[in-house]
Amino acid sequence: MIELIQRRRGLIAGIIAIILFGMWASTQYEPRVLASILLSGLTLGALYFLVTSGLSLIFGLMDVLNFAHGTLFMIGAYIGFTLYANPRLLLNTLPFGLALVAGWILARWLPANSLPSGHRRPLWVAAVLVGLFAIWNFELAPLATTALSSGGRVPTEQAQAPTPIFIARALGLAVAGVIAGAAFLAGREHTRRPERRDLIVPIILLALALLIAPLRLTLEEWLLSLDSNTRFLLALLIGAGGGAALGGLMEWSLIRPLYSRPIYQVLVTLGLVFVGTELVKGVWGPGGYFMELPAWFSQRGPNCPSPNLIAWLQDNCASIDVLGRPFPSYRIFIIALGILMFVGIAVLLRYTRLGMIIRAGVQDGEMVQALGINVRRVFTLVFALGAGLAALGGVAAAPFLGISPGLGQEFQLQAFIAVVIGGMGSFTGAAIGSLLVGLARAFGDQIVLTGIQLPWMSEAMTFSPSIARASTVLIMALVLLLRPAGLFGKKE
Amino acid sequence: MNEVLLEVDTIHTFIGQFHILEGVSLKVRAGSITALLGRNGAGKTTTLRSIMGLNPPRSGSIRLGGEAINGRPAYEIAYLGVGYVPEHRAIFRDLTVEENLRLAERKRGDLARRSDFIMSLFPDLKRFYRHPGGKLSGGQQQMLAIARALVPDNRLLLIDEPSEGLAPIIVEQIVAALRQMATETTILLVEQNFALAAQLADEYYILDDGRSVQHGRMADLTRDHATIDKYLGAG
Amino acid sequence: MRERLKSSQWAGLGLIGGLVIFPFVIALLTGQPVDAGVPKFWQGMLIQVFILAVFAMSYDILMGYTGILSFGHALFFGTGAYTVGILLKHAGWDLGAALLAVIVIALVQSLIIGLLSLRVSGVYFAMVTLAFAQMAFLLAEATDFRQWTGAEDGLQSIPVPAWISPTNERLRFYYVTLGFTIVMYLLARQVVNSPTGKVMMAIRDNETRAKVLGYHALTFKLIAITVSGIMAALAGAFNALWNLNANPAVLGVGTTINALLMTIIGGVGSLIGPMLGAGVIQLLGYWLNVFFGPSWPLLFGIIYILIVLFLPYGIIGTWRLRGASWMALWRKRLQELRARL
Repeated sequence: MIELIQRRRGLIAGIIAIILFGMWASTQYEPRVLASILLSGLTLGALYFLVTSGLSLIFGLMDVLNFAHGTLFMIGAYIGFTLYANPRLLLNTLPFGLALVAGWILARWLPANSLPSGHRRPLWVAAVLVGLFAIWNFELAPLATTALSSGGRVPTEQAQAPTPIFIARALGLAVAGVIAGAAFLAGREHTRRPERRDLIVPIILLALALLIAPLRLTLEEWLLSLDSNTRFLLALLIGAGGGAALGGLMEWSLIRPLYSRPIYQVLVTLGLVFVGTELVKGVWGPGGYFMELPAWFSQRGPNCPSPNLIAWLQDNCASIDVLGRPFPSYRIFIIALGILMFVGIAVLLRYTRLGMIIRAGVQDGEMVQALGINVRRVFTLVFALGAGLAALGGVAAAPFLGISPGLGQEFQLQAFIAVVIGGMGSFTGAAIGSLLVGLARAFGDQIVLTGIQLPWMSEAMTFSPSIARASTVLIMALVLLLRPAGLFGKKE
Repeated sequence: MNEVLLEVDTIHTFIGQFHILEGVSLKVRAGSITALLGRNGAGKTTTLRSIMGLNPPRSGSIRLGGEAINGRPAYEIAYLGVGYVPEHRAIFRDLTVEENLRLAERKRGDLARRSDFIMSLFPDLKRFYRHPGGKLSGGQQQMLAIARALVPDNRLLLIDEPSEGLAPIIVEQIVAALRQMATETTILLVEQNFALAAQLADEYYILDDGRSVQHGRMADLTRDHATIDKYLGAG
Repeated sequence: MRERLKSSQWAGLGLIGGLVIFPFVIALLTGQPVDAGVPKFWQGMLIQVFILAVFAMSYDILMGYTGILSFGHALFFGTGAYTVGILLKHAGWDLGAALLAVIVIALVQSLIIGLLSLRVSGVYFAMVTLAFAQMAFLLAEATDFRQWTGAEDGLQSIPVPAWISPTNERLRFYYVTLGFTIVMYLLARQVVNSPTGKVMMAIRDNETRAKVLGYHALTFKLIAITVSGIMAALAGAFNALWNLNANPAVLGVGTTINALLMTIIGGVGSLIGPMLGAGVIQLLGYWLNVFFGPSWPLLFGIIYILIVLFLPYGIIGTWRLRGASWMALWRKRLQELRARL
């Protein structure tokens, strides 16, 4: 028992501090105010958790601290928002990506060993040149910004390339993909033989690309004619999927070559923060967007706010009554999403083979490899999974916080603080840390709203929200002083 | 004489900038136990790791059943039927015994098929089937590490120091298990305890300073005290 | 006892001499007066190079010499900028006192940050320092301190003393910054060549061994952070003087990335490398800006990633690795050419 107390003293101190804080807070605020602060804290905590869980999984398994995780969150928000409000941008770029990948896979059919390694560099250059030529003068900005000028709805076809040119561009990119694939394979000794799926998959992708091309407008109208709830679910799905794809690509292309130089991995991810932010500014413009709430969370009427969750299922009110105070129903959804993901990841880690590999890989990746498991592929998968979680968080946050290129940095900061508090590489730690930071932020926001009045003050001191955001760093400093490994971290 | 299963031909392996193996050659015959002997730091573990693809050799060749495997990633080498039991009982401490074994499955059903054989060799594992590996005793962890290599059908087992730091009674159990295993597979064994190696192995290779210096039949070596003194020190 | 100067020292003196006469050379070449037009513009370019060179050098004392990866270096730079700005603009201090205050504040700040952050190591340290810098960034943007910091607009029109006004007395500002850079370089060289510097490098190479040898690693890391922090703060102060303003961006991630980029491009683990990197980046940034306009930060980021991937040792490092063989190759080719002629 005593040993247990000693081992877990950081955690126990944390719990005691929370209880003391809770007692103070319950004397300070009346229950209904307290309830809505707590729910706000849970909302933020759920969003932070979506960022920290991936961050922590990736760090635990492959020792990579991904500084671009917040950027993936932000990009996820943009992708989801784009699908929700302006699918034109996605429909006009997706075929390009599909064609490129199709070409890349088709390159496997090139005769093996016909490409000496000396050809690698010229081939890469050729691939880049062909690719650039294919998308020469293709402008993204008009496709992206129409949403802003027309209040979320896109009028009709202006700013779209004519179909023949569009198809030509896609085919050009497929050719670039083939050349790049050849460059990738040049001079490699152990390449696997092409299988049938190496033919079927690219043909499907290419067919999809060529099919989307003439149907862009129809598809767009169809998507926009869907009801907002379906679009919202699609946005969550596509945002998370897009984020996962980006994450996987990032691991495969930039992180994987650098496993022998860990510091440089971190440097690359920091660079990606910069590139990602600038890219988003370039495509969507430096300003922010506001994403409408789907119908499920935006009804107003005589029955609103809904008296309870069951009633909300019927009337879909924008807010739900919590102890006599309305609380936005969308935030309840975010909390539910956070809990769902927590349970989902816990189940994945505990009961699936992938989870088993992850838990084993955290301890000894080399031995997992020696058992016949391709750890590198698992790394890519987990990176994609973490990125997808962050991107999902981004889409979920969009209707609640709005979208701007700076969104990622704010979440990155709070996620880092949560991770330091919870302990790096610990899944439970990530959850608890996120929760604590979320609650701290919620109380901070409340204090910003009402000001703080200490006994000797004649009037309340007020703050700006920036101070509430910055103040969580103080909690981090405190944890660093008391328990550098974090509440759940293992001492090294 | 049986055919040669594993053939290592003058491999040179570097760890960082250090030249660890400076030309190791050896042949392992199918169905035999071959012992790899030598002092601490002679390069025995690195040889196993080179074969496994964990420290790929910079030059030289490694063939398994005639097929070149050097330069391939470790997981592919494992798939060709090579099992690895590392030193220091590198089991997964946070995973249960069952999960440790299940992780070693290469196709569904491996464990179910082999479970009885494994449990007959190491009854202890059955008792602690759902306990985390980290909670097992040292000997049980070693058994688990060996058992893990028995789950798939391996043609070749690379076993590094199975008796290290274990009580004699446990060692006996492990020796018995290794004998049993040798009836159906091939073993390349690194062992510090010469008496034990002599008891088990059919053939031996001696490494010194990263080179293979001598090999032959184990029965001949036990009588050759000069060689034992020269290369294996006072033991 | 007088020692003969080594060739590298001659090169250094030559470079300094060149930089001293540089404004007049440009004036002579363009036929324009030394305090206007093209000469004035290029003095401005070099002033920025000098300031960034000190900043990058300070970063390399941490990263290259002590092996500490900090992602919060903007904190020191920005604090220096804001300190000098606030003291000149709102407190009416004179420049000397303000710079002294910058040093004192940087000292205290780096000690506090160091003591807190050094409780963790490696990438954790990077993460924690980034959090501290982001906090400062948020505070600089906070509207609560608008009367002091100008919130998101930053401190505008800092009253720089007339005698070194970067607009009216550009040439004098040029020489002052040049002098500042030389002094900082000499100081940094003194530090890294001292026994203290040797211990720092021992910690970088193998911390456990340094500890076994009896060195208190934390103390030496703190020294490194303090020296580096003060240098960065002074560079930030000069940056504020040069721009006549300080805005939240000097505390942002971009500033830290800039330091990293200059250090890596020039070469980690040397003092000259980062300074060279500062020159390259400043000129590159200028040209990218001219050619690509508003999208240049994107290109900048892509170049950074490419350099991290393909040129990890930087200019100086690659030269040290390959220089001898390149020189030999060239000599051989020259000889062949001569033989053929």
